[in-house]
Amino acid sequence: MSNENDPKPDGGTASHPEQDVTEFEDHPLEWDEPENNNLAPDERASVSQSAEKDDDPKLVTGQAKYTADYEKKFPDLAHAAVVRSDVPHGRVANIDTNDAEEMDGVHAVLTPWSDETPDAKYTSAGQSYPEPSPWDMNVLNEHVRYIGDPVAAIAADDAETARAAADAIEVEYEENDYVLDPEEAYSEDAPQIFGDDEVENKIVGHDYSRNRMSQIEGEIGDVDGAVDRDDVHVHETEWETIRQSHAQIEKHTTLAYTDEDDRHVLVTSTQVPNHTRRQLAHLFDIPIRDIRVSKPRVGGGFGGKQAMVVEPIPLALALAADRPVIYEATREEEFAGMRSRHPMKVRARTAVTDDGSIEAIDLYALSNTGAYGSHGMTVAGNVGSKPMPLYSKVPNARFKADIVHTNTPQTGAMRGYGAPQGTLALEGHLDEVARDLDLDPIEFRKRHYMEVGDLDEIAGMMGGEGAERRIRSCGLDECIERGMDAIGWGDIDQPDEEHRHRGIGMALSAQGTGVAGDELGAAQLMMNEDGSFHLHVGGVDIGTGADTAFIQIAAEVLGCPETDIVIKSSDTDVTPFDYGAYASSTTYISGMAVKKAAEDAKERILHWGSKLLEEPEANLETGDGEVYSEETGESVSLEEIGYEAAYGHDEREHILGKGTHCTEESPPPFAAQFADVTVDEETGEFEVNKLVVAVDCGVAINPGMAEGQVEGANHMSYEMAVSEGITFDDDGRSEVTSFGDYDWPTASETPTIESILVETHEPTGPFGAKSVAEVPTNTVPPALSNAIRETVGVRITDMPITPEKIRAALEDDE
Amino acid sequence: MHIECTINGNERSFEVSKSDLLLDVLRQNGYTGAKRGCDTGACGMCTVQIDGEPTMSCITPVVKADGATIETVEGLGTQDDLHPVQQAFVDNSALQCGFCIPGMIMRSKALLEENPSPSEAEVREALSDNLCRCTGYKKIVEAVLEASERMGEQTVAADGGYSCRCEDTGLEVDSRGETDR
Ligand code: FES
Ligand code: FES
Repeated sequence: MSNENDPKPDGGTASHPEQDVTEFEDHPLEWDEPENNNLAPDERASVSQSAEKDDDPKLVTGQAKYTADYEKKFPDLAHAAVVRSDVPHGRVANIDTNDAEEMDGVHAVLTPWSDETPDAKYTSAGQSYPEPSPWDMNVLNEHVRYIGDPVAAIAADDAETARAAADAIEVEYEENDYVLDPEEAYSEDAPQIFGDDEVENKIVGHDYSRNRMSQIEGEIGDVDGAVDRDDVHVHETEWETIRQSHAQIEKHTTLAYTDEDDRHVLVTSTQVPNHTRRQLAHLFDIPIRDIRVSKPRVGGGFGGKQAMVVEPIPLALALAADRPVIYEATREEEFAGMRSRHPMKVRARTAVTDDGSIEAIDLYALSNTGAYGSHGMTVAGNVGSKPMPLYSKVPNARFKADIVHTNTPQTGAMRGYGAPQGTLALEGHLDEVARDLDLDPIEFRKRHYMEVGDLDEIAGMMGGEGAERRIRSCGLDECIERGMDAIGWGDIDQPDEEHRHRGIGMALSAQGTGVAGDELGAAQLMMNEDGSFHLHVGGVDIGTGADTAFIQIAAEVLGCPETDIVIKSSDTDVTPFDYGAYASSTTYISGMAVKKAAEDAKERILHWGSKLLEEPEANLETGDGEVYSEETGESVSLEEIGYEAAYGHDEREHILGKGTHCTEESPPPFAAQFADVTVDEETGEFEVNKLVVAVDCGVAINPGMAEGQVEGANHMSYEMAVSEGITFDDDGRSEVTSFGDYDWPTASETPTIESILVETHEPTGPFGAKSVAEVPTNTVPPALSNAIRETVGVRITDMPITPEKIRAALEDDE
Repeated sequence: MHIECTINGNERSFEVSKSDLLLDVLRQNGYTGAKRGCDTGACGMCTVQIDGEPTMSCITPVVKADGATIETVEGLGTQDDLHPVQQAFVDNSALQCGFCIPGMIMRSKALLEENPSPSEAEVREALSDNLCRCTGYKKIVEAVLEASERMGEQTVAADGGYSCRCEDTGLEVDSRGETDR
């Protein structure tokens, strides 16, 4: 991601009518889609049914096992506790571990200098290889950079003893100056957080003398030229977002042990088993084959587990203590020591003609990546590369970001991955412009947004993560139409009291589906002799229902009931390779791998069907648990085929299907958000009457689950609009240490969220699917800001939106 | 010290120390359905019923359980024969990661025992001590309202002499047809 990759170094424009021929060759509109991928609704047996989630029965009965539920299997299990830095910036001068070591029940104490503590640099970001994040951390740190940085670790008989031992460790620090504010951190005379020699795998645009881990920039067309034109209005607005916590209900938990073959096993709550295995191999200098990462049920991830956040600590302790070790973070550690969403300031600038034609969009983001750089550059890149392509008809576009360190906890991947920050800025900005020029906010957007057939160059303008892409499915018009209907656009009653006003705001959003050109998923299907199947897939279900979607996809191909498929996913010893659950890729990438595996197996099933039915394969199809002839109507059950294949006389075969999938494509899903709000102009108090969000996710493999994703994402988005997130005192200490401090909307504080699924067909996705889970995370802050502006005329640009800010703005107005 | 209690209908006795918390004792004894989300009584993951009352077991001294009747999620339906509240959660796609669900279900069951036909606002209010990060609450609220309806119908049906096993652990409900193939 750099200027060198600018696809338009000549400053050519991206105006669409004259797209040249080569672009169409690289990105054909007609996708070579197999016929079986595009099923009419009445042809679908499993797909787009709200099938029961595969793991629901065990989840609702409390039988499902998350990492901590495996404790009882290990009688000699030790529990870990971590000593974390008490100062925002400094060096550990001395650690006195004597008292801790002498305590009864303590099995291991590790410091940065212990033999078993890996001393290699690494990044915790669970990304592809080579990692687009700097190697700037240690498992235990001598140079500490935030309050909460891990310094020492203990394994003891039980959690209480481990905690007591941790408290008995005395650490002396040489304190350094520290800086908490990103703008200050970026100034010449700020305390320097990294020495140049303290980082490996540095990222483009780094300048550690100014605490900058990366700078990125991309442009198509000529933004400055457009801004300087006489016939345009130039608008500029500035926006600010909160530091949101993932607050996954299941805390980061890892159980590590060495098995009888001297191999290292981690049962862990992760989104990225394969990346974690690779990162552990690097840190501990153990061959990849000798590490096994197995994911049980996971209690939510949201990006907070797209990282190897805690795994090395219990593994190092298990090696030192020579017994299994479990580390279950505390809730306080979750808020103060793990990951969070990058807080950002984003500046939006547009050049717009009198009649409302947008000539240029220019976004700039200053991202606070905290003490370490995990996901720093890539999240910032997505501030531009996800929201801006929505307006693919704008000829000139530029995005630039500076990503700086502060002495605050490190940030990381979080659902939306930069898009929420960019969407607030862009959608809030466009609303202001529309008001200024007296244009209808929806019509104004419609003139510029994507439609089928467009070549989206903006997504590719920075190279790297994004890529130019052809738009082959787009349900924006319908999302808007149905959303307007559901919210009652233009048709709401004003409250009786004069000082209370009601209004509606809206915002649009686009995301991606997987990282274009940088993903891989794989699956294997084995047929049993009774006609049932075992589906092994690397794809990672972190509570989203991915396992169920995989089963539905396989069942659709195989023509069998979903209950005939037993799934095993995400165990690096057993299941095929997968990049993991992130970037909205699971259904699209891993799901397509499942589809290919099922098709591979189906070929063999038809071969055996043809033998038994004595009919050419071309006449045969699967359905209802059988192979049947479309010619004669004769059929043979999958069970008969299973037995014949396994135990037949002349020929035998274990029917196996395999599939692996990667792609250069990353089709955008779309969302149209509406927020209906009542504001009291005397107090600034406001009430969100209703949120409506309509999403085009292609074909929803499981509509019930997809709606659940939309509602959950929108709830998280609502929190970004109205809650403080994690805040710090002047010493850099987190003011949030418990759920009680973290202001998250409960069941009674959450407005009704109406989710609408708008079906389109995405030819590159399995059965027409594209992603769903991230795009509705982006839209509530701008929609609510726009609604307040509409209702009482004031604009809140820094999140969260609070009654105090509204009242202050109203008073300023007077 | 020694305590005795009834858990899910079984008499149990435990050697505990006074400072032990109920959640720890439950989990150590195999009742891992109750989850640990915070240890401070702020998330509801560990909710069980003690003498019918929904209670956060992570902040409840185990001595309080002495002589009490405790119900945990394991005491409701089985995977093949779910309790109506469990079944309603499944049918309404009301759960994702499921970590909050044992607590949610125990809280919902307690609510419906006290108030068999709550309004939506009452459900939302009752569930406000139980957090969920995945669902946005909408489908959970719908599930509880549907469970209330179904359980109401069951009672009416039972009074009217229709066949129904109206035991604590699972009314015979065939609800799958509504949302499944
Ligand atoms: S674990 Fe008991 S309330 Fe959170
Ligand atoms: S379903 Fe995941 S926390 Fe509720």
